Amino acid sequence: MNETVPVALRKPWAGGSEPPFVRIQKITKRFGDFTAVEDVSLDIFKGELFCLLGGSGCGKSTLLRMLAGFETPSSGRIEIDGQDMAGKAPYERPTNMMFQSYALFPHMSVEKNVAYGLQRDGIGRAEAHDRATDMLKMVQLSQFAGRKPHQLSGGQRQRVALARSLVKRPKLLLLDEPLGALDKKLREETQFELVKIQETLGVTFIVVTHDQEEAMTLSTRIGVMNEGVIVQVGEPSEIYEHPGSRFVADFIGSVNLFEGRVTEDKPDYVEIAAPDLGGSIHVGHGVSCTVNQQVWYAIRPEKVRLSRERPESRRNAFEGVIDEVAYLGNLSIFRIRLANGVLVRATRANLSRYDDEALTWDEKVWIAWDDTAGVVLTR
Amino acid sequence: MTGAIERFPPFRWTAAVLRRLGLGGRVLVVAVPFLWLLVFFLIPFLVVAKISLSEPAIAMPPYLPLVEWDGARALLTLNFENFAYLLSDPLYLNAYIFSIKVAFVSAVIALLVGYPMAYYIARSPEPRRSLLLTLVILPFWTSFLLRVYAWQGFLRSNGVINNFLLWTGIIDQPLVMLQTDFAVYLGIVYTYLPFMILPLYANLVKLDESLLEASADLGGRPLVTFFHITLPLSMPGIIAGFMLVFVPAIGEFVIPELLGGPDTLMIGRVLWNEFFSNRDWPVASAVAIAMLIVLVVPIMILRSVQADKGETT
Repeated sequence: MNETVPVALRKPWAGGSEPPFVRIQKITKRFGDFTAVEDVSLDIFKGELFCLLGGSGCGKSTLLRMLAGFETPSSGRIEIDGQDMAGKAPYERPTNMMFQSYALFPHMSVEKNVAYGLQRDGIGRAEAHDRATDMLKMVQLSQFAGRKPHQLSGGQRQRVALARSLVKRPKLLLLDEPLGALDKKLREETQFELVKIQETLGVTFIVVTHDQEEAMTLSTRIGVMNEGVIVQVGEPSEIYEHPGSRFVADFIGSVNLFEGRVTEDKPDYVEIAAPDLGGSIHVGHGVSCTVNQQVWYAIRPEKVRLSRERPESRRNAFEGVIDEVAYLGNLSIFRIRLANGVLVRATRANLSRYDDEALTWDEKVWIAWDDTAGVVLTR
Repeated sequence: MTGAIERFPPFRWTAAVLRRLGLGGRVLVVAVPFLWLLVFFLIPFLVVAKISLSEPAIAMPPYLPLVEWDGARALLTLNFENFAYLLSDPLYLNAYIFSIKVAFVSAVIALLVGYPMAYYIARSPEPRRSLLLTLVILPFWTSFLLRVYAWQGFLRSNGVINNFLLWTGIIDQPLVMLQTDFAVYLGIVYTYLPFMILPLYANLVKLDESLLEASADLGGRPLVTFFHITLPLSMPGIIAGFMLVFVPAIGEFVIPELLGGPDTLMIGRVLWNEFFSNRDWPVASAVAIAMLIVLVVPIMILRSVQADKGETT
């Protein structure tokens, strides 16, 4: 276990001897008849920035609150740094939390808010003051130390909340939608700041978010949740390029999904009959499936090529008409209507400022993709 | 959007005249409560103030007019002797001090009893919360006088409490509870408790639970969280509840009269005696005005302190 190599490069989750820092074993949480979290098991390693990603009500916040100690699991076991957390109150845990609403104490100044946690640990007023001041310097709020929370902007409050949760140097920091209340520009800046702080302090972060873009930028790994269950865990690129199910493929980024039936299943290629496309999809690698099995073929819009002329290779090429064009500046999104009415999304980077040859509405085009560009999903 | 009544000529003319005088609908809405207070509070207060400055007389009414008209001159006589008299006789000063003491101690007890109740109600789930609130207000549905009389039945030497204690054998002599200061405190705390609970409840129910979680998360044990977060944030409720008990308790007459002993000399009783036993209206009015000053000055100071705070919180 080499601590100097960043966790993102060590990849302890891929195998090895490093013990997990947070160990969640078969955790279930029920509220009456409602099961918020169901049989979740998860290992998170030291120094990770792990994102729990899912829509609202998927159980991600409940899972986080169980780690912080605000909710008691109905069954299962949580271990942090080798210690069983059962029966431990929030104030006895080596965790700190940054709340979605920030939960700053309205009657205390910014500095008192930050120093609060230190004083609870019996640290003297002078030292608490010094450490709070250092922390405020790090989040660039030194000149606001004497203000009350309501005198700050949303972005400043968010940084106070971050400082307050980091000042005790917790082993594990839990962040509940940390950037939710910020506007887009501030959000992007703060994302990188957060990663920088996390790397500097070496604290393990668990972030709950519903924003997939945020999860992609921030995390070493993402756990996608749906209806109380962890659907897939993986590095951002793995989740994006190798989704394990239609739910994950659809939830992360945008995707074209075609239903089909396996017609040929060979060790080095697979052929899928896709009535949606009015033809057959050729997959250039082996897939664990059987002939006649129902499958879904998922292909990302940026991997769909567009051309006026018919592509040389006749594999994975289909003809259609441009139904809709959306210009986003950096790229354009096309919606192509195939002969049987099915719509396919394709994006194209706008590489030139003067594109006289740009594809436009009602043009006849060919769509095509490489035989390794898409993913075959069985569920 | 004019209704039938607004097209009716007398209404239209009146409205036109009022508008001409600068009395639009908005002014009238404010004017009604304003006039109410003017007629039923300020004018009586001025009458009492006037009487307090006049000389007593054996007449009907039992005081001399302030302004005398001798045909050519108006003579204004302001008699401050009544106020000087209040200071000269220790009875009044003692009554004021005792009233304030009783009111203060009662308010503190009501706070200590009411705070946990308000906290519990505010933290209860919804259907039970409404029920508990109703129970707090329920005593108001019976006459206040009746309830204080009922306490006599409880506290008498052969009352419910003494009988029960004698029956269980805890005591062999009945306790003297009625006509003591204890009974007065009990009566005041009992009567005014809802006025403590309601503003505290209104404050505590708004308390953001995530603040308590944040405190716990940062290492605050429940008691620490209470003293550092809950208590300071509920200060407005505490002050409001305290004032709602303290202020009316100072002038309380019925409770010391029915439950207190002959030496329970609260200012309300002194006032009653001056008016109805001694028929000394000027001194009685002076007692009332002095009490108002004793009450209003601290409230105004408190309000200005709160207003200063309000700018920063």
